[in-house]
Amino acid sequence: MTTPTWGDPAGPLTSAEFRAATQAIMANIEQVIEGKSATVRLAVAVMLAEGHLLIEDVPGVGKTKLAKALARSIDCSVRRIQFTPDLLPSDVTGVSVYNQETRDFEFKPGAVFANLVVGDEINRASPKTQSALLECMEERQVTVDGTTYELQAPFMVVATQNPIEMEGTYPLPEAQRDRFTARIAMGYPDPRAELAMLAGQNDHDPLNDLRAVTDAATVRRLIETARAVHAADAVQQYAIALVTATREAPEIRLGASPRCTLQLMRTAKAVAALEGRDYVLPDDLQALAVPVLAHRIIPTADAQLNRRTTDAIVAEIVHRLPLPQARTNPYDTRDGRAPYESRGR
Amino acid sequence: MTGRRRLGLVAAGATLLAAAPLSAIFGSWTWIMLAMITLFLIEGAAVATRTFRFPTWAQGLSMGAALLLALTWIFPSGNEIIIPDPDTFAHFADLIRQAGEDTRAYGVPVPDRDGLHFVAVLGIGVVAIAVDLLTAVFRRPALAGLPMLAIYSIPVAVYPESVPAIPFVVGAAGFLWLLVADNVDRVRRFGRRFTGDGRDVDVWEPSPLAAAGRRIGVIGVLVAVVLPLGVPTVNGGLLARWTASSAGPGGAGGSGPGGRINLFASLSGQLNLSTTVPLLKVTTTEKEPFYMRFGVADVLTENGFGHQSPKGGALSDGLPDPRQLPASGNAAFDEYSATIEVTKDLQQNMAPLYTYPTGVKDLKGAWSYDPDQQVLFSGRNTTREQKYQITYLRARYTAAQLQQAEPLAANDPLRAYTATPGDPTVETEVARLTAGKNNDYAKVRAIYDWFSKENGFKYDLSAPSTGKASEIADFLTNRTGYCQQYAAAMAWMVRAAGIPARVAFGFTRGTPGGNGVFNISNRNAHAWTEVYFQGFGWVPFDATPTAGVTGSARSAWAPDVDRPAPVASSSTGAAVPGVDSSGDPGAANGANRPEPGTNTGSTTGPVAEETSWTGVWVAAGIALLIALLLVPALSRVMVRRRRHAVTAPAAPTVLSATGGDTITDITVTGVAGQAREDAHAAWDELIDSMVDFRVPVDPTETPRITAQRLVRDLSLAGEPAEAATLLGTAEERARYARQPLQGAELTAALRRIRSGMSVAASRRVRLRATLLPPSVLLSWRLGLAEWSTRAAERLTRLRDALTRFNPRRLLTRTR
Repeated sequence: MTTPTWGDPAGPLTSAEFRAATQAIMANIEQVIEGKSATVRLAVAVMLAEGHLLIEDVPGVGKTKLAKALARSIDCSVRRIQFTPDLLPSDVTGVSVYNQETRDFEFKPGAVFANLVVGDEINRASPKTQSALLECMEERQVTVDGTTYELQAPFMVVATQNPIEMEGTYPLPEAQRDRFTARIAMGYPDPRAELAMLAGQNDHDPLNDLRAVTDAATVRRLIETARAVHAADAVQQYAIALVTATREAPEIRLGASPRCTLQLMRTAKAVAALEGRDYVLPDDLQALAVPVLAHRIIPTADAQLNRRTTDAIVAEIVHRLPLPQARTNPYDTRDGRAPYESRGR
Repeated sequence: MTGRRRLGLVAAGATLLAAAPLSAIFGSWTWIMLAMITLFLIEGAAVATRTFRFPTWAQGLSMGAALLLALTWIFPSGNEIIIPDPDTFAHFADLIRQAGEDTRAYGVPVPDRDGLHFVAVLGIGVVAIAVDLLTAVFRRPALAGLPMLAIYSIPVAVYPESVPAIPFVVGAAGFLWLLVADNVDRVRRFGRRFTGDGRDVDVWEPSPLAAAGRRIGVIGVLVAVVLPLGVPTVNGGLLARWTASSAGPGGAGGSGPGGRINLFASLSGQLNLSTTVPLLKVTTTEKEPFYMRFGVADVLTENGFGHQSPKGGALSDGLPDPRQLPASGNAAFDEYSATIEVTKDLQQNMAPLYTYPTGVKDLKGAWSYDPDQQVLFSGRNTTREQKYQITYLRARYTAAQLQQAEPLAANDPLRAYTATPGDPTVETEVARLTAGKNNDYAKVRAIYDWFSKENGFKYDLSAPSTGKASEIADFLTNRTGYCQQYAAAMAWMVRAAGIPARVAFGFTRGTPGGNGVFNISNRNAHAWTEVYFQGFGWVPFDATPTAGVTGSARSAWAPDVDRPAPVASSSTGAAVPGVDSSGDPGAANGANRPEPGTNTGSTTGPVAEETSWTGVWVAAGIALLIALLLVPALSRVMVRRRRHAVTAPAAPTVLSATGGDTITDITVTGVAGQAREDAHAAWDELIDSMVDFRVPVDPTETPRITAQRLVRDLSLAGEPAEAATLLGTAEERARYARQPLQGAELTAALRRIRSGMSVAASRRVRLRATLLPPSVLLSWRLGLAEWSTRAAERLTRLRDALTRFNPRRLLTRTR
């Protein structure tokens, strides 16, 4: 996927510059979201992987706050869309209006024309409106009235949704879910972080204090740097094995797509870069498997009846799948069984 | 075909195989034909009832009926029409009674007798029903081994000392077949076996789950082999043989099974023993007894002289009187009596006798007498530690009398004793020797006299002793041998001259102990020729030079050819005080000699040597065992050394680019490649060490996680923990990074982590890791499993290919 706006002349950063820039972003966000460094890191990694982020959790755990903090940390254009049932596709993409002066139709860009789009409660909008995001998320362009408009780079959609409250919501279609690189859950903060939150947010909202620590150009260079991370053959094979396993697992009706493979590897590179490595490890893939794969797969009716969450299914696949490497012992001495024999649950 | 019916057929086949040991009892194979017919009928009934889903009792009943019908058809009383009637059962009772008599009358192998066949078929049929029910109905094939064992116990009871091994192996194979068939059926009932990648697994392919079974099997076999060695009561064990190598004739002393004993092998075994073992003590009223005799070889084929199983009536029926028989009536007879005491070292089922016994007393067990062979034999008893009295008639002939003996008629049944394999060398020699001789005795003497020192014949115990015909013929050219060659060669030549002859086995006179006592040891084991003269019976001729044989004797009709007659009698007489050979008119040339000094004097020599050799053998065996046990440990050490050699830092080149300030493509140099190999070797070694120390290895873990788990689970701290992390990083970078970790002290790290694991492990695990490293055993097992899997796959392919030619397939297609 090549976008013309990506021809940045500045080139990649050195590892020190990369570390400084990313550390600054993460530290900035963690001023607001306390005790969630792993989540924050994943969010940043998705950004560096040119992906989109879906934050899914119960109300009140800071989904929107994370999205806004990420947006504020970067000095770039940020738009926020509050998805409501009556939101129209043209509100998202933009609309052509008749200009009296020029006597011509003039394109008024919608909310997606920004570097960072925060879509709140995305599942409250009708499928019609949700679908407006399909083109821009994947192709980073908007076509209105036959005219295609390029979006700015970087472009990232950070959406939130609430999995508990189903009334009046429209679940995301599979095509839409597949466009989100990762789905993360915030989770409740631990008591210490919650205490700190009480103290810190007593009188004012720290979100208001946030200053941008980087700009869009730097982010573009960061992204380019992360792309250069080396992924060895063994790692690529492992990624493919993971994705293939979701397609072949008996509990899964629909496995992960090739786009998913691509995004998994890209996110893994970003994670590796964030950790200061210039090579991807299978560990990175293992850590990313649940956030990147779980929201895309559809379990079989049996698995759903058994209350098997997709997270659990993916976690089990990761646990079961041997590394693509004949060096290690093919027999697991833990239970003395050959790898092809399924392990008990 | 359903599994149950297939199992039934397997059960029948297994029963037939398990009946194989009966072949040791029967002389011919008729019984197996009868057994096959019976099994076929029984199994047919079983399959039929199973097809119609009859209840279990009906299946058993139908098989019983099939057995009854089979017995009726094979052994009809003559009156019934297919269906057995009361007469039939009376006939069966008769057959059983007859079998009882036959078992007493016949030694093994028994001839084809209706009674014995009936009992055998009945037994096999009953066993077949039991095996079928246990296997196909109750699904307990292991229990079916018991009735099968019952068949095997029959030859064991008949041959108390040694049972032929091959029929047992065949029977055991049948049992194993049954077990395997049952288990395969059991697995099949679960459905198809296939691997995670969808490949069908052949039923014969071993499952890793079966490893425990294999292990138990190996241990069981080892215990079954090793344990009897340590139990002193079991004869014939390896240990017993070692310890007995200086104490007795061992198996060579005729402990072999009755019908199958190779008399020649036994004889050379006796003579070649390095020690002197007393076998018999004979007290006789005869002053100069001739040889004591127990067996005879009267069949001459390509394989040399062979021995027929003796046949004859029970001892209690009385013994023939040679004076009354026309065959030997012309000889003069003197009556004597003797007491024979057998030591524990002479264990055979043919009792030593002086010829023409007229009465045998106090011989324990069931013994029979073969009047043709003049052999006293038993099917199941041996002479071991027996003491018995005999009265016997000693035949006396003179050369003049024998010259009068008439030649044998052309159609006389005894002509069977003149058969030879036909060897031109022998025949020309015989023709040359007997040319111009006008009577049988003259011909025999011509041949007998030819075996003299002057003609280059030399006594030598080290001559080959296979007893083959070619070897006997060779003896006539190389002229070096001992009693068995002399006796066999002479018998052959006499046969070639058209006169019946055979080889007799027994003992020479032995060492006189005064008062008519003669002590006979294994040194006195001997073979000689017997020639048949019409009217005189079998007349002994001993062609072996007296010099070679302890206690040999010569007779008037067969004087010592190596010495001039008048001088010999006085010189040997003087040499042996207490034995007056000249006093006996019959013995012209007594040659009772004491045991050769070399043997009696230096008995301790060979014995000591023997024990020392035994010691060496035992030590070598133990050393070999230890070496075998150490093979895994050594193999592990070798592997480790090789890997350490790889991981030892050859050159301390550290690339400054490591860690990569700038993320750029760096070409992998030879040095980097080497570093990668080093890291892999170190990691392999670490994994093997983990296997050795029973730390779980998970193929789904990355090196980093494995290292972390090591540190956490083993509570490693300090240097070992650092070493684990270092190894994890090295392997991780070697596998996944552009630039591997270089210049790290991996060997030292390995050593540290190994010591760390060793500290964390229990003493048993530590010991095992050193002596019997699981990693080596595991790799062997994996190799074996892989090999067998491949073999099974190949077999499956072959079978599939063969199915293509299956005619059934063509039938299906046309349908």
